[in-house]
Amino acid sequence: MSEELKNTNQTEEQYSLNDDRRVKVLSPGALVVKRFFRNRLAVLGLIMLIVMFVFSFVGGFVMPYGQAEQFYTVTYLDKEYVGVTRNDELRYAVADGQEFGTILQAQFLLALGKGKTEYSYKGEDYTLTEEGADFYSISKADGTVLAIAYKDIVNAADGMEDPAFAVKYEALKAYANGGTSFSADGGDYTLDEEGNILSDGTVIGYISRFVVAPKENGVTITRDFKEKLQEALEDDITEFAYTDEEGVESTYKVSYDATAKVWSVQQKTPSYVYDTYGQPSMKHPLGTDKNGMDMLVRLMYGGRVSLVIGFIVVAIETVIGVILGGISGYFGKWVDNLIMRIVDIFYCIPSMPVIIILGAAMDNMRVDPQIRMLYLMLILGFLGWPGIARLVRGQILSLREQEFMTATEACGIRVSRRIFRHLIPNVIPQLIVTCTMGLGSTIIMEATLSFLGLGVKFPFASWGSIISDVNNSYVMTTFWFIWIPAGICLLIAVLGFNFVGDGLRDAFDPKMKR
Amino acid sequence: MSKQAVSDTKTANGQTPVAYDPQYILMVKDLKKHFPIKGGMMSQTVGWVKAVDGVTFNLKRGTTMGLVGESGCGKTTTGRTILRLSGEKTGGAVLFNGQEVYDLSAKEMRALRPKMQIIFQDPFSSLSPRLPVGEIIGEAVREHKLVPKEKFNDYIDEVMDNCGLQPFHKDRYPHEFSGGQRQRICIARALALNPEFVVCDEPVSALDVSIQAQIINLLKDLQEKYSLTYLFISHDLSVVEHISDTVGVMYLGNLVEYGAKTDIFRNPLHPYTKALFSAIPIPDPQAKMNRIVLEGSIPSPANPPSGCKFHTRCAHCMQRCKEEAPVQREVEPGHYVVCHLYDQ
Repeated sequence: MSEELKNTNQTEEQYSLNDDRRVKVLSPGALVVKRFFRNRLAVLGLIMLIVMFVFSFVGGFVMPYGQAEQFYTVTYLDKEYVGVTRNDELRYAVADGQEFGTILQAQFLLALGKGKTEYSYKGEDYTLTEEGADFYSISKADGTVLAIAYKDIVNAADGMEDPAFAVKYEALKAYANGGTSFSADGGDYTLDEEGNILSDGTVIGYISRFVVAPKENGVTITRDFKEKLQEALEDDITEFAYTDEEGVESTYKVSYDATAKVWSVQQKTPSYVYDTYGQPSMKHPLGTDKNGMDMLVRLMYGGRVSLVIGFIVVAIETVIGVILGGISGYFGKWVDNLIMRIVDIFYCIPSMPVIIILGAAMDNMRVDPQIRMLYLMLILGFLGWPGIARLVRGQILSLREQEFMTATEACGIRVSRRIFRHLIPNVIPQLIVTCTMGLGSTIIMEATLSFLGLGVKFPFASWGSIISDVNNSYVMTTFWFIWIPAGICLLIAVLGFNFVGDGLRDAFDPKMKR
Repeated sequence: MSKQAVSDTKTANGQTPVAYDPQYILMVKDLKKHFPIKGGMMSQTVGWVKAVDGVTFNLKRGTTMGLVGESGCGKTTTGRTILRLSGEKTGGAVLFNGQEVYDLSAKEMRALRPKMQIIFQDPFSSLSPRLPVGEIIGEAVREHKLVPKEKFNDYIDEVMDNCGLQPFHKDRYPHEFSGGQRQRICIARALALNPEFVVCDEPVSALDVSIQAQIINLLKDLQEKYSLTYLFISHDLSVVEHISDTVGVMYLGNLVEYGAKTDIFRNPLHPYTKALFSAIPIPDPQAKMNRIVLEGSIPSPANPPSGCKFHTRCAHCMQRCKEEAPVQREVEPGHYVVCHLYDQ
């Protein structure tokens, strides 16, 4: 082996400068490649295509998301949480074993209105004593306290029983007079600055002017929250954050309705929704579409679909076109006539209405998206072959009359060999050019159909169907990231195919001297 | 293809029986090839181009016959019709080694193909542009299994060497060669099949003079080496004079004169031949050329004149020429002419 190599090297060295053997042998194919790569635009087109292919076919594997994977986002809804009112009515607490009905309450209010300290009803006398601001006690003639009327409300602490009458009375008394401790029913209690009533260090209840009513059933409002709320109200804060026992932090918005004298507190609740039309971010470089799917991934898979459809459609067109065109051109006579009339008929078929009708029919039949894609390719392929058939027929017709074909006949070469070794290789250049150009136009066709909703259907994406998401000016102007990248992909791919097609045509043309 | 020929023939199978003479490799008897003219709405045949309209000659083994005539007179069609390359003949007989070529089935014809080859006029269009030269030359050899596989390469090398090509040319493509080299490739392709008879269809007219000489000499050498028989079609009289043993002169589909080269060149009999040969330039500035200038132009082969086809331009035209077509006549041994002037 190595010896042979040496020998060839030696013989090569022996060639004189003007020896033919020094000239590198290039097949016509190699020449075409050489000429192609000298064409800058064609190389640019090739690079564009390679980029699009890598983007579409490799990109899908690199990206961590699936093509139909939907993403969620947290949005905050302002939900009416509680209504807070400042208590301006007197409330009553009745001592154990006593009665203080509504009539007595009314009599009491009348007396209070008149500024009297005593009133009588049904022969009984009652004394009302102002124990503090908005805090009264009503006692019978014998001095026993019948009931108390108050505006500062004594609430039971969470999980505690409602405090007894005596505790309430004493607590309010202490609260009104600024006392910090009191005793009732034989127990000692302390009252802190916030109005909490403590017994042996545990909070059993609290005093507050505010009434906090939940707006929804089943919501219990904790003391902790109420305190926070009260602080906020006192400080005139409109928004505050609060972390509940479960550790969920929420934001609350406070607004005051002056006519109803109600502070309504709205809770910002997180809700888990599809991340639709998400702006580009690190997670989604091109944002998300209206279904909350990653646009970049959709674009990659869409490219795959668009390119594959292009290739398969052109392959179908080429196979049918070459076979029928070849038969037509080689055999001529009535065969040629028949096939060319079929071609004419196919040219007469308006492809758009046919595709629209078939698309509508498939919609109606609820064809599976994948099968639908297959049908789309078949339909486009079957509608597209006449052009190629004509091209091949014309080429073969002219090649058949060339002298080298007569020479093959004179040499007695088989018909099959004549077709496949001599005719077809000479048609291939034009065929490649037409097919490359055809790829671009097929992709555009597919995009048009998908845009019209007749082509590729969800969950599959194609560049056309991605663009078709933009069906109103709001989406178009606001969510540029939906349609501009898809449009650019389409542009690059089609432009790439056209550049390469032009480059190939020039490269195949032997008259090109560049 | 055509029903017209039937009326001209005498036997039931549409052929004039020709007695086979083994000294002749090729016997052509009253060969006719008419092409239909299509026209009208339904593209029916509205006429016939009588490209070859009665050609009769015999070709001896190992000799060269030159076929001359002006453009469009049917030389090339004659050559191709003999090789059965342009469809069916219209009439007459072509006997190759005593075998009627047009009687063979497609399979038999294919088997016979290597024995009769053709070299084309245009070396540029007659080579398949997408095949390397070795393949062009060797394809048919392999197809007909003329040499065993293991000797194939050596055989192709030998043929190429004989035709003045280098073995390393095998891997190259036709576009890398000059016209002369391409013509050598064409010759190599024809000769690789080891033929007995080669139609050289103006093989040098597309080449410049120096290359012409090379190719002509190559053809002559190869003829000696392989004892080939050539039908050398050309409109270049000096080339024909150089290479031929016998010469045929064609006018409008007819072979008007046919005989040994010396007879034809020294003593042309037919008025057309005389006119044609008077046009040969004499390489002497002092010499006075005695040119016979023909009037008018060649008539359309679709609508040839009645009688003798040459009568419209003939200086010796008689009334008889306009009415009656002359027949081939052997005026001196081996010298045939088709002209009423030599009717005794």
